Amino acid sequence: MTNMNLYSRGDKLFVVANMVLIGIFALSTLYPFIYIAAVSFSSGFAATAGKVVLTPIDMTLAAYERVLSEPAFWRSYLNTFIYTIGGTITSLIIIIPGAYALSRPQLIGRRFWNLVVAFTMWFNAGMIPFFLNMRDLGLMDSYFGLIIGFACNAFNIILLRNFFESIPASFEEAARMDGANEFQVLWKVFVPLSKPAIATVTLFCIVARWNGFFWAMVLLQDESKIPLQVYLRQIIATLSDDEEFAATLLTAPYSVETVTAAIIVCSIIPVLIIYPFVQKYFNKGILLGGVKE
Amino acid sequence: MSGVTLEKIVKRYGAAQVVHGIDLQIEPQEFVVLVGPSGCGKSTTLRMIAGLEEISDGQLSIADRNVNNVAPKDRDVAMVFQNYALYPHLNVAENIAFGLRIRKVKKPEIAKSVSEVADILGLTEYLDRRPADLSGGQRQRVAMGRAIVRHPEVFLFDEPLSNLDAKLRTQMRAEIKRLHKRLGVTSIYVTHDQVEAMTLADRIVVMRDGRIEQIGKPMDLFNNPVNTFVAGFIGSPPMNQFEATVESSDAGPIAVLADLRVALPKLPQLQTQVGRKVTVGIRPEHALITPQDGANTIPVDLDLVETLGSEALLHTHVSGNPFVIKTETHGDVDHLYGVKDVYVSPERIKVFDGETGDVFVHPTQG
Amino acid sequence: MEKKFSWLLQHLRREWQIYVLLAPTIIWFILFLYKPMYGLQIAFKDYSIFRGIAGSPWVGLEHFETLFGSDTFLRALKNTVIISALSMCFGFPMPIILALMFNEILNQTYKKTAQTLVYLPHFISTVIIAGVVVTAFSPSAGIVNTIIGWFGVEPIYFLTKPEWFRPIFIGSGIWQEAGFSSIVFLAAIAGVNPSLYESAVVDGASRWQMMWKITLPSIMPTIIIMLIIRIGNILEIGFELVILLYQPATYQTADVINTFIYRQGLQGGQYDVAAAAGLFNAVVAFVLVMTANTISRRVSRTSLW
Repeated sequence: MTNMNLYSRGDKLFVVANMVLIGIFALSTLYPFIYIAAVSFSSGFAATAGKVVLTPIDMTLAAYERVLSEPAFWRSYLNTFIYTIGGTITSLIIIIPGAYALSRPQLIGRRFWNLVVAFTMWFNAGMIPFFLNMRDLGLMDSYFGLIIGFACNAFNIILLRNFFESIPASFEEAARMDGANEFQVLWKVFVPLSKPAIATVTLFCIVARWNGFFWAMVLLQDESKIPLQVYLRQIIATLSDDEEFAATLLTAPYSVETVTAAIIVCSIIPVLIIYPFVQKYFNKGILLGGVKE
Repeated sequence: MSGVTLEKIVKRYGAAQVVHGIDLQIEPQEFVVLVGPSGCGKSTTLRMIAGLEEISDGQLSIADRNVNNVAPKDRDVAMVFQNYALYPHLNVAENIAFGLRIRKVKKPEIAKSVSEVADILGLTEYLDRRPADLSGGQRQRVAMGRAIVRHPEVFLFDEPLSNLDAKLRTQMRAEIKRLHKRLGVTSIYVTHDQVEAMTLADRIVVMRDGRIEQIGKPMDLFNNPVNTFVAGFIGSPPMNQFEATVESSDAGPIAVLADLRVALPKLPQLQTQVGRKVTVGIRPEHALITPQDGANTIPVDLDLVETLGSEALLHTHVSGNPFVIKTETHGDVDHLYGVKDVYVSPERIKVFDGETGDVFVHPTQG
Repeated sequence: MEKKFSWLLQHLRREWQIYVLLAPTIIWFILFLYKPMYGLQIAFKDYSIFRGIAGSPWVGLEHFETLFGSDTFLRALKNTVIISALSMCFGFPMPIILALMFNEILNQTYKKTAQTLVYLPHFISTVIIAGVVVTAFSPSAGIVNTIIGWFGVEPIYFLTKPEWFRPIFIGSGIWQEAGFSSIVFLAAIAGVNPSLYESAVVDGASRWQMMWKITLPSIMPTIIIMLIIRIGNILEIGFELVILLYQPATYQTADVINTFIYRQGLQGGQYDVAAAAGLFNAVVAFVLVMTANTISRRVSRTSLW
């Protein structure tokens, strides 16, 4: 029913009040971003004095000039792209075939292999053994180590496997009778049929990679390999007690706050760009697929 | 063209056996329909022929070559699936071409084959469409096109019409028949619908519980069912059956049910069956509403008249047993409401053993 | 036996391709998730880098005795449970309320826009969340102190005050995840039979009544399942955000098991003690998750696994 005239007065009140409340909640979700953006464009003095509330005060690009002139910023930005693109591709190369194989009824020991995967959702060795293992494998401080070490997880495999299992068997059978082998069945039939599920998994991989920070911080020592998130964290942690930087602040048109805010804005922009493209998949209920089993 | 031979084909899933040693010889160019209720093993048998299920025991040959251990793609068979299995991401032309592309057929050759097939099936103007934009009948045609394009030795159909509405089904049935006439490819067709079986088949194989009950031409099965199961399965509406006791009379064997006495065909075996329980079978078409010489007169209680147009079904009771009569209307059904008796010639009556359900036939026929 | 073997051989000849497709996944799981489980034995050893995992001598339960005699570890354990329980109390109902509210919005454009906004923080990295929090709560520049300043309150050094850590941590968690978590409940609501509402309208029910008497009971199984999962994961805390927000002044209320492990092990080099803490954490989590699954199987008749 979308015809408001059919509603009683109480219902109209309820509907309107609900819209207002949702609006308030949505705007308060948005507000921190607006605030950060406003700070990033404000003068260092205005920000430090706590004058910024909603719009930039003494509008300036000084913070961005400072951030963008830093080679380390660009280096880490590039690194994040390397980790995100390399990591997502690696993940898909492992996850798609694995999930397909686990969905095949003719796989001997299918229950066992599925358990091998699912068990890791319930029990994992934890931080220290994982770290020591990475060190023993010689995967510290390398692009490859960070990419391969987090290429896979049980959740994504199970989500995709469930989707593959929901595809009617006759698609595979028809392709087989047409002479397709397993690789062709997967690549020419199942992958095109599973676009929404694969898009969801790809999205999860991209988000995890783009935002990943803890293990990058722990595993990477070489400053030239750190991703944006680790760089940002270092800036936040060190800017404030970097005396040299503090000295420049007295004369500089930027401050710790505005520089931090500027880096945050720069790091969010790519997320905002791809967000509308992937958003349509959220409501397809496919996310539920991962909840079950 | 080539035939298909099944020798003692068995299918087991673990300890459960679902197909119990089927023997079947299918001639080149023949159209054979496997029919039976769900769970009778017809689909499993078809899938074993296709190579989609392993054969647990027995021998399968296609064109005199044993194919037990041959992969589906190398058996030179093509299958039309119940849900068509059309790839939604490919258009009609690509769907038809899929098998050829997989087999690395040259592009100009593929284009030629696809346009030929599209021409045969009347799909030429839909080649660019996606399956989602096609009607049920068109999808069905694409599915057949995908099978035809490969010029296989054998076509396999797995209930291909069951997703269509009644009208389309009739139309597509005729089209499949026409196609078979034109291409002359050996075809094996699975359905649970006896009408499809009757209309399409050169020979029908009636199956039940993993066994073949009877093999024969459609009219053979209709006229001479070997047992009560086939009698009840083939023909629409099914044959009326009721239990009775055999007794002898001056005029020959008769069946007695309460106060009803029905003269039976003069089969010698029946003389020895006096006192035995039998099942008496009368086809709805064979119960006439006008008096006949030498026919049994059977009093019926009319429940309702179903008008179909040129024909009508009279739902009645005979001594407490449901009894259906099919009769011509000649454009008027009013007179049918007055029916009190029907007339059945003894020679038209089938008699089955009360225990085994097997039919008694005349020794010279047997 | 021989028959079985020849059957296997034939199977592999025909189906080898699936095993090729499966291999990378299984190898990856063994190499990166199961091999570390072998390494867990250092929780019972006096581990030294030079002797390696296998070569280090066994010490029995010594590290566990150390842990349970350590105030720091017990404090971390206590904080973990408290923070988790608090975020469940305040964080769990929010997505359900949001889903119910979204469901009552008639204007689709408005609904889509609002959803887009509330899902967004989920995709923002922890570091940025921390950056936003640090900036917003900064004593001189932060918006929070600016606002309370309007009411005459003196600036508060929020991030150095132990009593403020938990509210800030839990609040930012709700801000980041409440919207996105509502998707599960929205999907459940979408599955409610529409004729229930139609017959309720005919019976004269108000929208408020329908929400309480139809929508909420209909999604109750989903709510219960999600609650059980949540209880099963009580030891799982977004410790990355803790690492980014806490400082020695707030350890008292902020230090959780995983941050303890991080400091002891990765920063302090006491791998064996840290691994013991991790093993304790993993075993308790495993038992909780298994219990939760058993309960959910009873409750919903459809288990999670």
